[in-house]
Amino acid sequence: MAKFKTPFLDELEKGPWPSFVTDIKRQAKTKPELEDLLGQVELSYKDKETHWKHGGIVGVFGYGGGVIGRYSDMPKEFPGVAHFHTVRVNQTGGFYYSTEYLGKIMDMWERRGSGLTNMHGSTGDMVLLGTTTDQLEEIFWELTHDMQTDLGGSGGNLRTPSCCLGMSRCEYSCIDAQAICQEMTMHYQDELHRPAFPYKFKIKVSGCANDCVAAIARSDCAIIGTWKDNIRIDKSAVAAYVNGELKSNAGAHAGRDWGKFDIVKEVVNLCPTGCMSYDGKELTIDDKECTRCMHCINTMPRALRPGVDKGATLLCGAKAPILEGQRLATVIVPFVKTEGTFEEIKEVINKLLDWWMEHGKNRERIGELIGRMGMREMLKATGLPPVPQMVKEPRSNPYIFWEESEVPGGWTRDLAAFRKKHPL
Amino acid sequence: MDIEELKKKIMEWAEKSTKPKFYFKDIGKAAPELGPREIKKAVTALVQEQKLEYWSSGSTTMYGVKGKGITEEAQMGTHEE
Amino acid sequence: MAYDPKNPMKDRITDIGPRHYKEFMPPVIKKNFGKWLYHEILEPGVLMHKAESGDEVYTVRIGASRLMSVELIRDAMKIADKHCGGYIRWTTRNNMELMVDDKSKLQPLIDDIKKNPMFPIGGTGAGVTSIIHTQGWVHCHTPAIDASGIVKSVMDELFEYFQSMKLPAQVRVAMACCLNMCGAVHCSDIAILGFHRKPPFVQHEVISKICELPLAIAACPTGAIKPATVDGHKSVSVNGERCMFCGNCYTMCPAMPLMDAEGDCVVIMMGGKISNRISAPKFSKVVIPALPSNPPRWPEVVAAVKNILEVYAKNANKYERIGEWAERIGWERVFEKCNIPFNVKTIDDYTLAYNTLRTTTQFKFT
Repeated sequence: MAKFKTPFLDELEKGPWPSFVTDIKRQAKTKPELEDLLGQVELSYKDKETHWKHGGIVGVFGYGGGVIGRYSDMPKEFPGVAHFHTVRVNQTGGFYYSTEYLGKIMDMWERRGSGLTNMHGSTGDMVLLGTTTDQLEEIFWELTHDMQTDLGGSGGNLRTPSCCLGMSRCEYSCIDAQAICQEMTMHYQDELHRPAFPYKFKIKVSGCANDCVAAIARSDCAIIGTWKDNIRIDKSAVAAYVNGELKSNAGAHAGRDWGKFDIVKEVVNLCPTGCMSYDGKELTIDDKECTRCMHCINTMPRALRPGVDKGATLLCGAKAPILEGQRLATVIVPFVKTEGTFEEIKEVINKLLDWWMEHGKNRERIGELIGRMGMREMLKATGLPPVPQMVKEPRSNPYIFWEESEVPGGWTRDLAAFRKKHPL
Repeated sequence: MDIEELKKKIMEWAEKSTKPKFYFKDIGKAAPELGPREIKKAVTALVQEQKLEYWSSGSTTMYGVKGKGITEEAQMGTHEE
Repeated sequence: MAYDPKNPMKDRITDIGPRHYKEFMPPVIKKNFGKWLYHEILEPGVLMHKAESGDEVYTVRIGASRLMSVELIRDAMKIADKHCGGYIRWTTRNNMELMVDDKSKLQPLIDDIKKNPMFPIGGTGAGVTSIIHTQGWVHCHTPAIDASGIVKSVMDELFEYFQSMKLPAQVRVAMACCLNMCGAVHCSDIAILGFHRKPPFVQHEVISKICELPLAIAACPTGAIKPATVDGHKSVSVNGERCMFCGNCYTMCPAMPLMDAEGDCVVIMMGGKISNRISAPKFSKVVIPALPSNPPRWPEVVAAVKNILEVYAKNANKYERIGEWAERIGWERVFEKCNIPFNVKTIDDYTLAYNTLRTTTQFKFT
């Protein structure tokens, strides 16, 4: 028998999409605190207002992130959720799990938490929702000792890096996104757990320009796979697409009759650079002019593949609008090889972090710092060479901040000599 | 400056601060001649020694002198009882 | 060996990071790592990836609400144990994926998945996949609206597009329950955003006891909070005209709540994307500045999302994302076609406003 009547939430048990209400109700049979959660959420549905408060002191000893404090504002009515803290567990690259490992976490979370999770949170962590302060150290102990895993980031830390599934199961991936993500996560453990940044810093790795992990929109440092040489063409597969033997876009449009595949209309004419042509028999690509948008490859994956000289483009500074306006990440390194332990990438990240830690104001993302101080200062501090790939177009105002050292003769002048030529 | 001396300087600054919680960047004022990486080492040690503690809003993190300022009980609202 | 509260530092392990991903890959994935040739979507929600070795892996994608119980995850794990050698993965959009290494194993896997109504198959190709979203009333302290309930209501209505691939291109829907936008709605084809419209209360008689006033003051990104003494209480004052309704002050100080059933509303945005395919990534744009927040099923929001989706589906070219379609026909035409009244509040007046104004005489009459 349910502890609270939930007429509003019951409405959300109808319909074909999986119902979180049905799910929580079932779990509440063994986790009675979820009865209180249902009660509180039902009240929110009635009040149209949340009933949670934030709590900032809770955490595990020695870590400044990974736990988010949460309290009910009606602890007497809903004692089971009086404390309901979040634990962020660092996900594995590409979100792969064995049931043995995942099962251990689930068992632990049933014992020590509410039995509710987010698979996964917006940053990428496995999010365990709802536990009490006295369980936090126990949870951390079990995660590190019994499951050999660790907490993720929160607050003014490096946030848990995340990636797409990369080369593990995607033919488009130009880089080993998981390896880069793992290496960055391990290399920056101290930055991930112990806050010393002005604000959050996110690293995201996508294997190609399709950017399934939204690196360009959501990360302070985006690492996106690309290539420098020519798209590999399988001529016979091109012919097979043209004559309809192969389904375009891997069958992604199969649910509607779009007519016969038309390579000129659907590939050549949609190429953003116009670098492709098809003469009725052969597809040619002027690869030097290609900007690697992935459209032709996505459309004819069996005929076209990225080149073999692969690496990554580094971009910096994406964020949601708050506070100085939304930003997409912008190019800072057009191409870097991704080999070994990715030292070249780390070097760039280290320089970005140093500059930001020195000049960033409290709660200023690095993109906003670039906005405030200009690319010029960022490039000077990091030593990255200015290249045209960094801009869509050059500046349209000439208000250039020249430095004294850049002007012939410097700024110190002889007034007497000047006045001799130009009397007052 | 050795780390013990730096730790002492940071604690003196923190105890004197009128703000109960401060950003990492503000702690740098305790020893403006040093870079953030050195400050961080000392601050991490002070957290380990339970002299400083973290406070997190979820999106940003602050430091405070352990036990000074708002407590978990105040945040939970049990102050009424 | 277990945690000893008297001696928390004893045998403490820290900084070990996540488990290595290679431990958790199905053998066929591990074997063909980096050697995949191509993929095909066999039917909505079912993918086949072919490797250079000739190996094939068949993937079934299952839509999930990102809020999942241990029991539901165990249900999925049971299927993974029975069919998939004990491996499971999630996608970046909160779907689950179960994989088998032979075509003969595919149908039995699908049959078992279909036995559970909580496991809908779909979310591939030119359709709608799971909505990226935030916590809402289930677990957040600053939301203007719920998240899971709106996602459920919208996905129920868009379900046919989750299970089919008949749109001009993929449509990525995202939602965030306040302007802090944990759900990254700023680059989605269709975005649902909760918004507060009333500045916070100040509970003068208790604020100095439960909050640290300097922190509440410093928390305000626009400097709208100032120290004040009210009726003899040490407190703060809020300049409502400068308030941007972010809730940062409430995060620092529970005596400054800003949620308000009457004022809180839903913003609808559209036309964003993250992929670099054909055109550059784009921001979502506000097309409806405020819809009422009507739990439990938010009919106005659901109708608005469905309307945009279906007008787009009818009018856009193959491969065209919502934002690309809007740019081709012009935003003035988008408002007309979607029958959305243009509102002064959709004209930007924030930090980057000028970029969005029209600087040409080229436009369409509507």
